Amino acid sequence: MITKRPLVAIGFLLPALTAYGLFTLYPLVRGLWLSLTDSSGGPRSNFIGLENYRRLIFDPDVHSATLITIQYAVIVVVLQNLFGLLLARALFERPHARRVIGTLVLLPTLVAPLMSSFIFSYLLAPDGALNRMLALIGLPGLQHVWYGDPTTALASIAAVQIWMYTGYTATIFLAGYLAIPRELLEAGRIDGATSWQQFRLIEWPLLAPSLTVCVTLSLIGSLRVFEFPFVLTNGGPAGSTMTLTLLIFNSTFHAASKFAYGIAIAFALLVLVVVSAAIATVVLRAREARI
Amino acid sequence: MSAISTGKSLVLNKVVTNRNVIMRRIGDVLLGIVLVLMLAPFAFAVLTAIRPAADVANDPLGLPTRITAENVATAFAQMNYAQSLWNTVLILFGTSVLTITLGSMASYPLSRIGKRWTRLTYQLFIIGTSVPIWVLIAPLYLFMRDLGLLGSFAGVILIYTAGLLPVAIFFYTSFIRQVPTELEEAASIDGAGSLRIFFLIVFPLLGPMTVTLITYIALSVWNDLIVPIIFLQGIQNGTIMSNAYALLNPLVVQPTTLFPAILLGVIPLIVLFAVLQRYVIAGLTSGAIK
Repeated sequence: MITKRPLVAIGFLLPALTAYGLFTLYPLVRGLWLSLTDSSGGPRSNFIGLENYRRLIFDPDVHSATLITIQYAVIVVVLQNLFGLLLARALFERPHARRVIGTLVLLPTLVAPLMSSFIFSYLLAPDGALNRMLALIGLPGLQHVWYGDPTTALASIAAVQIWMYTGYTATIFLAGYLAIPRELLEAGRIDGATSWQQFRLIEWPLLAPSLTVCVTLSLIGSLRVFEFPFVLTNGGPAGSTMTLTLLIFNSTFHAASKFAYGIAIAFALLVLVVVSAAIATVVLRAREARI
Repeated sequence: MSAISTGKSLVLNKVVTNRNVIMRRIGDVLLGIVLVLMLAPFAFAVLTAIRPAADVANDPLGLPTRITAENVATAFAQMNYAQSLWNTVLILFGTSVLTITLGSMASYPLSRIGKRWTRLTYQLFIIGTSVPIWVLIAPLYLFMRDLGLLGSFAGVILIYTAGLLPVAIFFYTSFIRQVPTELEEAASIDGAGSLRIFFLIVFPLLGPMTVTLITYIALSVWNDLIVPIIFLQGIQNGTIMSNAYALLNPLVVQPTTLFPAILLGVIPLIVLFAVLQRYVIAGLTSGAIK
């Protein structure tokens, strides 16, 4: 048995440890080191200590990108979970429709972010489907150059991500709904609870674990967003959609002088992702325990 | 509930029931609208893809009156589709085989041996689930250049494998813990070695988890754009996503080329997911930790 032979156990672990060590852990450490240098990607570089980190703390581009990334994350997390929850509840209450519709709503999740961006770039173009529809139903006042106007660009990008993953969020919430003991829901109904009371007092507290997963996932996903702004606006108009990932990409791969600086920004993003995910998890888990 | 108030509550109940029926109808309508909103963008892409370009120019929002395969052929050529498809399948295949073999093998001692060092090794792998690719991409680029693996499928497969191993190990270890050890013990008494026990007894039992993982790996690798645009240069080497990105500019390309390209990109995934349907939901929700 493997339990009695530690050397064999190490043999089982070694291939995975080698791959993971070489292509995840080693780059992580090398990246941390590079962020402390003035490297431009070439063989020569000088150690400059925390200079890159000092620089990014005072860099208005980093401030603006951080703010935009957080704004984006807030829009996506709130709307994606709200829509996902509503959809899950609607499906839970309609057992006959659940199977077919539950599968259909996952279709957008299969469409690659790049391809979804292609679709939306066309739908939300100045003479695209959305503006034509608005004209058709007599609301031409609501027409916008969705991706060309700094006030609507970020939300219009968020719309793509929300479209892609609302079905996915609903799937997780639906799994949570199906785990609620039937007796509790029946008891609520017999006591004459209204639909809202039923939701507020029984379903919402019992969905706490699903909410933790969905919020954490959408938070991590939206803080790391790349393809949507990359394809749809490339940071524009007027920098209104320049997220941290775009800033990292542009620094690292389009400006040799900023190679190491881009890595430092990437570590700032890592901290932002880990800290916000940790806060969300701790707060939501504490809430689960309270309930 | 007292006998006196029963009559009143019956009336109340009726009001509540009526209200519930109305609310339910409103809910049906809203669900219908949401469903249309979710499916319309994709349906629009499909319908436009099969309409002749002239029809689309005349009436961009119209339904197909005539059907053509010409657009699909154009997109097929512009994306260098046959080559891109082959490249993507090759990379996906290599990543799946490596991730599943290395991941399941590593999970075996990690879940069967309850020692301090196995717990620490497990934690080390789990750290990987929270590292965004952005932190690794620049140092990986230098490393791949040093190894001479820049632009090679091997390099990309290794990057994907290292990135997906933590997820695979997370799921395999929790799965193996639920597998009883009696069979392994019996085989061991019969003189079977650990490798034989693992591949002949344990691994086949992991089947459902393995299929679920394949759907997760397929979705991650197939739809990824970042790794191929940075690590694979040249149209000959590109994946479906990187070539679609390089060759199709949505601002310039006709929608009648762009939309078939989207179809060509997603159809293989839809086929795979339709075949593995009952594992799909598990696969998507298992992305829960990534």
